Amino acid sequence: MKHTILLRTLAVLTVTCLAATAGTLKIVTTTSDLAAIAKAVAGDKAEVHSICTGKEDPHMLQAKPSFILQARDADLWIRLGLELEIGWEAPILDGSRNARIREGTPGHLDAAESALILDIPTVKVTRAMGDVHPQGNPHYWLDPLNGRRIAVAIAERLAEIAPDGAASFRANAAAFQQALDERMFGAELLRTVPADNLWAMTEDGTIVAVLAAPANQGKSGGWLAAMQPLRGQKIVTYHRSWVYFAHRFGLRVAAEIEPKPGVPPTAVHLREIAETARQQKIRIILQEPFYSRKAADRLAGETGARVVVVANSVGGQPEATDYFALMDLIVKRLTEK
Amino acid sequence: MRKKSLLCLWPLVAALSVTPCIAQPVAPDTKPESVEALRAEVAGLRHQLDTQRREFDARLREMEAKFAAIETAAAKVPAPAGQVSAAAAVAPPRPELAERSRVLPGRLGGAVQSMNPDVSAIIDLNYHADDSKEGISHVLEALPGFDHTHGGEEEHHHGPDEGFNMSHLELQFSAEVDPYFKGSAIAAVSEDGAEMETAEIETTSLPGGLKLRGGKFFSDFGYINAQHSHAWDFVDRPLVYQLLLGDHGLNDKGLQLSWLAPTPFYLLAGIEAFQSGGESEMSFAYSGEEPLPRHDGPRLWVGWLKFGPNLPGNHGLQFGVFGATGKHQEAHDGQTENPPGVWTPDGDGIADHWLDGDTTFWGGDFVYKYNSPKPYGQGDFTLQGEYFNRRKDLEMVGNDFNPALVGNRSIANQDGYYVQAVYGVLPRWRAGLRWEQVGLTNHIDYPDGSEFSGDASYRFGPMIDWSLSEFSRLRLQLNRGEYETDADRDGVTELYLQWVVSLGAHGAHKF
Repeated sequence: MKHTILLRTLAVLTVTCLAATAGTLKIVTTTSDLAAIAKAVAGDKAEVHSICTGKEDPHMLQAKPSFILQARDADLWIRLGLELEIGWEAPILDGSRNARIREGTPGHLDAAESALILDIPTVKVTRAMGDVHPQGNPHYWLDPLNGRRIAVAIAERLAEIAPDGAASFRANAAAFQQALDERMFGAELLRTVPADNLWAMTEDGTIVAVLAAPANQGKSGGWLAAMQPLRGQKIVTYHRSWVYFAHRFGLRVAAEIEPKPGVPPTAVHLREIAETARQQKIRIILQEPFYSRKAADRLAGETGARVVVVANSVGGQPEATDYFALMDLIVKRLTEK
Repeated sequence: MRKKSLLCLWPLVAALSVTPCIAQPVAPDTKPESVEALRAEVAGLRHQLDTQRREFDARLREMEAKFAAIETAAAKVPAPAGQVSAAAAVAPPRPELAERSRVLPGRLGGAVQSMNPDVSAIIDLNYHADDSKEGISHVLEALPGFDHTHGGEEEHHHGPDEGFNMSHLELQFSAEVDPYFKGSAIAAVSEDGAEMETAEIETTSLPGGLKLRGGKFFSDFGYINAQHSHAWDFVDRPLVYQLLLGDHGLNDKGLQLSWLAPTPFYLLAGIEAFQSGGESEMSFAYSGEEPLPRHDGPRLWVGWLKFGPNLPGNHGLQFGVFGATGKHQEAHDGQTENPPGVWTPDGDGIADHWLDGDTTFWGGDFVYKYNSPKPYGQGDFTLQGEYFNRRKDLEMVGNDFNPALVGNRSIANQDGYYVQAVYGVLPRWRAGLRWEQVGLTNHIDYPDGSEFSGDASYRFGPMIDWSLSEFSRLRLQLNRGEYETDADRDGVTELYLQWVVSLGAHGAHKF
């Protein structure tokens, strides 16, 4: 009798769960930024969950049971790659027993494969250098051009997994790209010069000449125009996590508060960068909210620079509700007085 | 649609934007003479302007020329076929771009790099000191109810030496075998030679949440058993593990089948069958030599359930229950009963009475973890605990001194638990506290009808460790124990200093 009840309960539970998993696609991303882009691309055809909330340092995370549960039901797993998730991805994927999302299957997408990557080491990497990622700097989502490229990669992969929705995924990705282009360059400039060319020109700074051309005077808008006054400025960042953003907007990262990637600041190193900051007239010290402000404040006190604390991930601060809002927030914090 | 109309307008737009360049169609970087001439002309025309202004103009022209070149090149690129295509969405990378950036190879290309197994090594040095007369291992081996024999082998001491100790060098290898299996192995190399610590195969693509694992592996019962010693939060294993399962934990050759249930919460169930050839001699010893009966393997069965509620945010929680039953055999060196009730070994080193039967144990474990948003592990918190209760139910199968006792039963029942908490006090610094008790239940019914009841022993101690990176750690630990020995209570204070590093592949740790 007891056994029958137990079996029935199990059967009911199983059926309920199976019913719950049928229907919409389930996408699990390692970071909140990937989730934000995936949501924009998948629209109402998928449920998107992120492992990281955007508030924590994604290098360090515990592969807790509820993450395994999310991976168990996923049709598509999207990771940032470049070994950012190396400390916790494998136990989650292994623990999930989900063959659909194993590495090398269509259900496993490495977003880094579609991104433009910086800081690829040209010498042999040893751990004496700190936490250097041998395949390149993993903070590439902070380059809006990479956000644009990731959207396409996600659309193409979703089209492969769920061909019925292919047209919709591609249309969503195109709409995402167009919206991103407008926020980056402003609608008026986009009417004059195609977006692809504008992006290419932000790569080497020729965009400056374009904006200076009499025909384009006053046409730029969006983040590009907002960041224009900061172009060419040198900044100090806490971790080497802002190189992509700096590269796209023409800022130059002169030094990091961490003496080596992933190594907490030391007094000696802080003295050195205070000297650097004074010599190079650095006005901005940029860091994420999860790092202690102590070192940055000390440096600011010694050099007169301004400390800008801003999330580098969606969800890292209340205003950063999606990918566009994150970029809006970073630009706003950097440019406000 | 929109893009198309833009493209129609493009030649006009391009012409407009390029106009300033057409007026001065000289590329300064390609023809230096012309630049000089041009500069001279400009200088002549605008001699009232200062040097700064002149430099700025030249720079501007240079950039405009570059821009014109890009536009001309881009205008020749045919329009993309669809609105979205990974390659066409951005302009083709130019030389400057290619130098700094690299599009990673596709799915198949990336696999080539990972054909070799991941290899890593753990080096673990510690210094140990205690204030007991004969060493802590001697005290632990003499705890009534927890003492054990080696099936006739000579007694050897477990546990650390006074002074420097090297934990064995762990050489780890792991790789995907093919699309179906994954393999990993750990060779434990010590000064005395090498032994196979684990060598296991597991499936990676069974349907229905199933996974089959085979080889020699650590049982997944409880929490700490399957963790490698370098991943522990304290230098030494908990007392209850040390006393009931010995130096290696439950690690044996066999098979494991586990199932991740399709429930809305985390539920993992597993069953394991082990050969049990004496790896865990404290509770599951086996010799099969006369007069002890032979038992075919598998001689040890373990079952466990792990349950994890979905906690929000950075909180993680897991509960486990487990049970095991297996064959156990003991061969004792002869003892004489003098005075009555007190058995003392006769000390000739030859076994002369034998016990055979089953050991069962059951228990539970929990772990709670808080993953702080702060970097370098600051604010992280872990609370974990395990309890187990062991019962040895044995029958006297041979006795050279007192054959009348053959057929009589001996039942030994012992238990123990530990609770520990570790907190990230500063970036990279953690402090922890562990409290342990063994022998809350400590009762033996001997084959001759006599019985023993013992009191509990306890141990507690703080630890502090400093992880300079994820790959190295320095640790200081103190243990203070009050042990219920044959004679009386024995208080022992221990000190550990540990220096452990890991080389090679970056190992990910389970929850």
